[in-house]
Amino acid sequence: MKGNGSVASSTSAGDDRLTAREWINDQATNTVPYLLVVPGLIFVIGVLGYAVFGGFVLSLNETDMFLNKSFVGLENYIKVFNDPRFQASLLRTIVFVICSITLGMVMSMIFALTLYHVGFGRRFFRGMSLVPYFVSGIATAVMFRFVFTTSGGFANYVLHKFGLPTPSWLGDPYLAFMVAVFANCWHMVPFATLILLGGLQTVDRDIYDAATIDGASGTQTFFRITLPMIKPMLGVSLIWVSYISFSTFDIILALTSGGPQRATEVVSMYMYQLAFLQLDFGQGAVLMVVILSINTLLSLVYIYYFVLADRSDEKDARA
Amino acid sequence: MSTTMNRRSGRAFHREHGTLQHLLKRSQRFLLIGLPLTFLVIWAMVPILWAFMASLKEPLEIYESNTFFPRDPSLEAYKTVLAIDGFGVWMFNSVLVTVVATIVPLILSILAAYGFSRYFFRFRHVLLLLYLIPRIIPRVSLIVPLNDLMTNLGLINTYWVLYITYIASAVPLSTWILVGFFKAVPREIEESATIDGANMWNRLRYVILPIAWPGVVTAAVLCVREGWNEFAFVLALVTESGMRTLPYALYTLRDSMGVQNFAVYNAFTILTVLPLLVVYLLLERRVVESIVTGAVK
Repeated sequence: MKGNGSVASSTSAGDDRLTAREWINDQATNTVPYLLVVPGLIFVIGVLGYAVFGGFVLSLNETDMFLNKSFVGLENYIKVFNDPRFQASLLRTIVFVICSITLGMVMSMIFALTLYHVGFGRRFFRGMSLVPYFVSGIATAVMFRFVFTTSGGFANYVLHKFGLPTPSWLGDPYLAFMVAVFANCWHMVPFATLILLGGLQTVDRDIYDAATIDGASGTQTFFRITLPMIKPMLGVSLIWVSYISFSTFDIILALTSGGPQRATEVVSMYMYQLAFLQLDFGQGAVLMVVILSINTLLSLVYIYYFVLADRSDEKDARA
Repeated sequence: MSTTMNRRSGRAFHREHGTLQHLLKRSQRFLLIGLPLTFLVIWAMVPILWAFMASLKEPLEIYESNTFFPRDPSLEAYKTVLAIDGFGVWMFNSVLVTVVATIVPLILSILAAYGFSRYFFRFRHVLLLLYLIPRIIPRVSLIVPLNDLMTNLGLINTYWVLYITYIASAVPLSTWILVGFFKAVPREIEESATIDGANMWNRLRYVILPIAWPGVVTAAVLCVREGWNEFAFVLALVTESGMRTLPYALYTLRDSMGVQNFAVYNAFTILTVLPLLVVYLLLERRVVESIVTGAVK
């Protein structure tokens, strides 16, 4: 990302610098921009930066009941990685993320296409589609818990109407996992939908007309034109969706607390369990490092594939 | 797509609007758009509406669940919630923390965004990167070290701990949004303001902010959302009941009330969600527009 930025700025450096010099002339000193930028940075680095750094340090220490620390090197890491409960929770997280991404992206795409084509009440439907984004994770979980309660829930109300069996959703490990995926999707799909909708709106309509004239079918147009054209937006929403899914915490905590039989205990839940209920901060910090690394890695991969690869395509096309 | 075709060619229009074919096309269009649209409405609205309906029902009626709408709507559950010991305090905490965690980050990020969008200075790329990296750090992962840090500082169970962490997590997002909006303001306008003798504060106040106002509104709404809905930090850094915010109170209510009174439980949920939804609905157009145009990522 950085490399690309410097290339872009060096190509336009000539005119940039000219205006820059004129610009700076009326500034009292060059310290002004730093004074503007630094206050916010103090918060960001002071709190978030310190937390990341402190987490790494903590992961190398052992804490006792009174929070006294002693350096133990990689011992916590060895313990955690050999812990079957951690391995299970990591695997579960991966399944959870894959399910959420698949369902979430398909739904976002369908919703975005619908909102793109809808003729009447466009503004209304758009505004409404974003409502779940403003409901807190806890409230989402509480609402989903209620929608899926055995007696009194909406799901069983509908199933009962059609004379179908009414399962105990949150009591069954598989169903509870499914409900967790649903709740997570409910919370994250709206934002991804609007990002994709923005992508769809940037595609020139003439291209579709040309494709229709050339005899392309609807599916062909979608896969050959729409998807490649909105690749950057696809990347952004994919980053968002997987970021949210990997770090879901409040939804699962309030929905199932990791149960039944640990069926929904994802990594972040286990981290909370280790650090705040078993008071093993060292091992909890190891899980933090795991979550952080996976997230960073994923984001970098997505940025590389969707944003940078796309830019180089454009450059090739221009050359 | 078919509509554009219609406009283009009269013959195609005639052909498509021939009786049977026209009907088929219409019904196909209805299926392709109407069905997903119905699903979208049900999907987005049912959890909220179901909770809202239940909050108006009698406790026993909820268990029977024969009807979607309450037979005899009553506001009894809301009265119960408002009478809960501590509800006022939690609401106050939520409002206070949200207001602080919106105004302070906005000021900080307006300054930073102005710096990033208008000045050429050394390390600006690195500094901007430092602002952006936190966006890919999941907030949950930070609760373990933050709890450790704040315990050592003796800040657990104070408003300060909430202010500091909420502000820190809101600044990167709003800076990112505002940099985009500020950069879009034509430099020439500011240059002419400079010639007219406006100093930096005046330029920021009378030139940049009015033009980039949609961005400021969007950033503000998203800061309010972050502050109002934040849970991980308050869970990790607050233990006293009197320091809780609404999401935390809702979470603890789950355990304390159990299944006994779903009406009260749902009324509580609706009351925690409603204030933010009102803010959103008032400013909905700007927020949706900003997200669709890719200003929020």
